[in-house]
Amino acid sequence: MEIFVSQIMTGLSIASILMLVALGLAIIYGVTGVINLAHGEFVMLGAYAAWFLQTQFGLSLLVSLVPIFILVALFGWLIEALVIRHLYERPLDTILATWGIGVMAQQAVRLIAGGELRYVEMPPALATSVTIFGASESAYRLFILFLALALFALTWCIYRYTHFGLKLRAIAQNRSIASSFGINSGRIYRFTFAYGAGIAGLAGALVSPLKSVSPEMGTTYVVDAFMVVVLGGVQSLMGTLASSGILGELTGYIAFYSNDTIAKALVLLAIVVLIRFRPQGLFAGRVRT
Amino acid sequence: MKVPGKTTSQIAIYAAVCIAILLVPLVLDDAFLLNKYARYLVFGMLAVSLSLSWGYAGILNLGQAMTFGLGSYCMAMALKLKTIPVHTGSDGLPDFMVWNNVTELPWFWIPFHSLAFGVAAGILVPVALAALLGWFVFKGRVTGVYAAIITLAAMVVVQLLIIDQQRFTGGFNGITDLAQFEVAGFAFDAYGSSSYYLVAGCLAVTLFLALFITKSKTGLILQAIRDQEDRVRFFGYDVALYKIFVFSVSAGIAGLAGMLYTIVMEFASPTFLGVPLSLSVVIWVAVGGRQSLLGAMLGALVVTGVQGALSESETFLETWTLVMGLLFVLVVLFLPKGLAGAFEKIAARFERTPPGAVAESTAPRSEPIKSGREIEGVS
Repeated sequence: MEIFVSQIMTGLSIASILMLVALGLAIIYGVTGVINLAHGEFVMLGAYAAWFLQTQFGLSLLVSLVPIFILVALFGWLIEALVIRHLYERPLDTILATWGIGVMAQQAVRLIAGGELRYVEMPPALATSVTIFGASESAYRLFILFLALALFALTWCIYRYTHFGLKLRAIAQNRSIASSFGINSGRIYRFTFAYGAGIAGLAGALVSPLKSVSPEMGTTYVVDAFMVVVLGGVQSLMGTLASSGILGELTGYIAFYSNDTIAKALVLLAIVVLIRFRPQGLFAGRVRT
Repeated sequence: MKVPGKTTSQIAIYAAVCIAILLVPLVLDDAFLLNKYARYLVFGMLAVSLSLSWGYAGILNLGQAMTFGLGSYCMAMALKLKTIPVHTGSDGLPDFMVWNNVTELPWFWIPFHSLAFGVAAGILVPVALAALLGWFVFKGRVTGVYAAIITLAAMVVVQLLIIDQQRFTGGFNGITDLAQFEVAGFAFDAYGSSSYYLVAGCLAVTLFLALFITKSKTGLILQAIRDQEDRVRFFGYDVALYKIFVFSVSAGIAGLAGMLYTIVMEFASPTFLGVPLSLSVVIWVAVGGRQSLLGAMLGALVVTGVQGALSESETFLETWTLVMGLLFVLVVLFLPKGLAGAFEKIAARFERTPPGAVAESTAPRSEPIKSGREIEGVS
């Protein structure tokens, strides 16, 4: 029982981080159709922002979450305004441009903050463990899980029940018709991109106490998050939730029983096969054309 | 569609560049520099291979390094078996296998005792794998972004497998301590003009082969597929077949480049199949001009050349990577056809001006306008 619960909790912990990273990617991809290869770098920037605020201003991680969200969202806003905006008609080139931006962000951070590993302290209040059904679980990991679910619920509500969300869904379905009804799609795109970037920044800040912070840390996340989006299906927030749950548990399980490299290779092969046979994802009904 | 005058001048320019490259060893007598330039030429060849599939058929292969690395490993395996291992004597096991407690040469290593087999495999293995992957992807009508992601994922899978199977592939360390490449008793010294000539000769041949393909009817259909895939399908052409063809040819050229890289570098490493190298190839081709074979090649030479010159200092190199990223983004934004496209535009502008002005404006070399341009207006 204990092993079972702790195995499930490990999976949920991986899933919550996956979902935080994938949520931003899914929103951006679902609404604008841009595969943002710089998404991992948004995560990395969030982690570095957490490190910077902690070492320079002595801010605790919990306090700095809001400024980090705003900072990284601003960065995403800028990227959209300067680069992505011009490329919506050329989807292949958005991959290249976001890749280039990712390289630049990595390199800039390496030059400014140095290439060595950085460490962020866990908030002291959460540095304990909690016992659930006899299994001991880190309070901080539970906190991430709850925060991830809360963010998902917030995004869901925005998407489903606000005026902004309505416009968003209209644009995701058909940009030109939505525009002809007077929706400023350029502005919505920019908000979406900034929001997605902000969430990625939060994800980076939240994982920073669990993993070491380095300029390359984003690349691993972007691959896994992409897998979540592909599995979950474009435009399907619920699909993102479900697929990050599935992948999180699966990754925990595979890492427990088998070799890490082979597990990674299998995940990538699964991506290839999935894209080939079901590019719209497992959970999506409609396809964006 | 063909304009004979344009094609002739294009061939002339390509030939001039190839001759210039072949003449370098006559004026340069520095073994180290020759080796370095030979390496750049290999990258140029890799850029030509990507330009063929990306620029002419619209298949953005983010895993071009996969076929390059496979070619490199095939050559390294053949050259490794030509060495005499310290521990096991002649015809013995390669050193890294001994370290990993492998007692018998694995079956897939045995044919590599023949160098000819190694050379053939260095081209055929990448071609076969590309054909298989192409069949899988293009028969399912997976295009654009999704196809790009699949090529990237496939490359990482191959790289992970090579790293994981350390007993048979040398793992992270790759395959080192190789014999020299030898044909009919003549050894190609990596630090001599012979290897340089080998690389430059192969580059010239592949450049003209690629040019020939783009000028052929197949090449025109490929460009049409790039611009309007559905219309070509409506005409009754088997789009997937054409794509598989160009994807495989591109893989074969990349495999050849990989083999030459092993000869010049004297080792093979899993980084040859890495994401950073693949990204670099895309950058070279984008900067040089994806729709010009020569532009892509020169893009590779210029970018790697500058990178090599700056690599003396760590800070310079890191700043350069930053600048490179910026340049890449700018090129994607403003010059989708790269520098070659910019030359074309300038040349076209001068051609439209009255004859009097042309005489003064011979300075910028006019890159010939490709026949694909006319078709492109449709999209």
